[in-house]
Amino acid sequence: MPRLTARERREGYQREYAFQQRHGKPFFPHVVFHDTIVSLIVVALIMGLSVLWYVQFGAIPTDPMAERTGGLLGPAYEAKADPGVLGYHPQPDWYFFFLFELLRIFKTPQLLIVGTIIIPTIWMVLLIGWPFIDRNPDRRLSRRPIALAIGVMVPIVLLTLTFYGSKVPAEGGAASTEPGAAAFAAGACSTCHVLANAGTAGNVGPVLDEAKPDYATALALITNGQGAMPSFKATYTEDEISCLAGYVATWSAAVGTTPGPGAATAKDYPASCEKAGGLFAGTVSSASGP
Amino acid sequence: MSTLLPPPKEIAMMPVDWVEERSGAISFGKFMLFRNVPKDISWLQTLGSALITVFILQATTGIILAMYYQPTPDTAWMTIQWITNEATLGWLVRGMHKWGSSVMVVLLFLHMGRTFLFGAYKYPREMTWITGAIIFILVMGMSFTGYLLVFDERAYWATIVGVNINGTAPILGPALSYVLMVGPEIGTNTLSRFYSLHMLVLPSAIGGLIFLHMLLVVRLGVTSPPWSRMEPTEGDV
Ligand code: HEC
Ligand code: HEM
Repeated sequence: MPRLTARERREGYQREYAFQQRHGKPFFPHVVFHDTIVSLIVVALIMGLSVLWYVQFGAIPTDPMAERTGGLLGPAYEAKADPGVLGYHPQPDWYFFFLFELLRIFKTPQLLIVGTIIIPTIWMVLLIGWPFIDRNPDRRLSRRPIALAIGVMVPIVLLTLTFYGSKVPAEGGAASTEPGAAAFAAGACSTCHVLANAGTAGNVGPVLDEAKPDYATALALITNGQGAMPSFKATYTEDEISCLAGYVATWSAAVGTTPGPGAATAKDYPASCEKAGGLFAGTVSSASGP
Repeated sequence: MSTLLPPPKEIAMMPVDWVEERSGAISFGKFMLFRNVPKDISWLQTLGSALITVFILQATTGIILAMYYQPTPDTAWMTIQWITNEATLGWLVRGMHKWGSSVMVVLLFLHMGRTFLFGAYKYPREMTWITGAIIFILVMGMSFTGYLLVFDERAYWATIVGVNINGTAPILGPALSYVLMVGPEIGTNTLSRFYSLHMLVLPSAIGGLIFLHMLLVVRLGVTSPPWSRMEPTEGDV
């Protein structure tokens, strides 16, 4: 590509600018008029979306703590945040779906950072530094094949990631009646993890049947969280956490009713589940998420 | 005596002249408004001004919401509920703020795409692009901090995942998560911190950068579409 000298570049710009000032049209009122039309359309669009959102709400719920459900454009609000809630599927707003999807693609602990930090950082550096990367002085698309290719690729990649990021995994009841299975399936765990014994197909975190965590690892992760995995200290009691950790250690990579390799490490299992009671005790065979 | 009074037109202009003499505000306004743009300027070049409109709309609706919203874990959700269900036209103000943010992100992508395809970031407009790119990143920050404020289930869990994602960064990550949440968990201080970022820090930074962005656009002149030819056409003077 022809490199211009600094002087040629400057003179080219000055010629263009002088031409514009001499033969252009006044910004006011011509452009201001066009700008106003487009702005009015945009404001109308925003109001239209708000009205559509509003008319599709359900009635104000009689229970003051309940969510106000919605239609096409989503609810007015969901139920009040409660760290103790059993099952919730974390989902960001649509413009972060691409990040969510990256997180799913790079979900093993060793690779997670590629999706969460490395790719977004590279992306931001390229975005800010782009004028210094593309040194081709021509502005006609026919002479900018590389820029054109990038300009087509980036939206396609972003839209694809956004599309897949918007999918929520299917909800399934617990497949087994082992103590802890129902709680695992009904809880947030199911959104993020595959665990065949519990019948869950979450796809944010690692496949637990492959990770085969031992009891201590599972206990530490559920208690304190790590990476994208939340801490459940505020959600569950100690017994409940111990029960889940024991369950995961025992039944990940299980073959039928033969426990997996982590079974030997599980402490207090299933005793902790009985102490925790309810969903954890394993008497409820098919719990469904909220 | 009447000869001592200046003509009415001059009297009317006196406050204007007073301001102009002391600040130059009037010539600055003329500099921004009375300039020439390329004759074949395209409709695609109106997206930037639409963004200014949406920014002003977000600021206005945001100020109204801030009059009723209380950022504590106990009251945040309650006040949102009150604004949506009880306040006169509260649903409209909240709805426009909520949907305005989505529309703004879409417009940002379109405007960025337009300047990319027009090659409008090339010499001498690199700084216009860079200020724009920083604005874009800050707007994503607005979206992230705003999402928690409703304090419903979705907001809570999405924010936990978001903050944890930050936490995976080497060295700085855990510290950054801690600073964002003000501790190991989402609580009162998290909410105030997000609120302060969302309604004070980020918007003023964005507002300032939009001003710079506009100064650059006016100073350098708007790029003509890449297909335009630099020859006077009929009717040109
Ligand atoms: C928001 C998604 C998310 C939720 C909800 C979640 N996890 Fe995780 N989990 C992850 C991620 C991501 C990792 C990998 C963390 C790392 O090591 O960086 C992980 C790791 C784990 C591990 C360790 C696996 C290994 O590498 O050995 C266990 C055990 C685990 N999770 C159990 C649970 C249980 C039990 C629950 C429910 C109480 C749960 N998770 C809820 C995302 C999630
Ligand atoms: C709130 C955000 C923004 C506002 C209010 C804004 C506003 C504007 C306006 C009014 C113009 C004049 C021409 C036009 O409308 O096309 C402009 C031009 C420009 N913008 Fe933005 N912009 C924003 C974000 C961005 C972003 C994210 C980028 C890119 C990363 C960007 C890059 C540019 C460039 C390079 C020009 C020069 C175009 C030319 O000279 O033809 N802007 N902007």
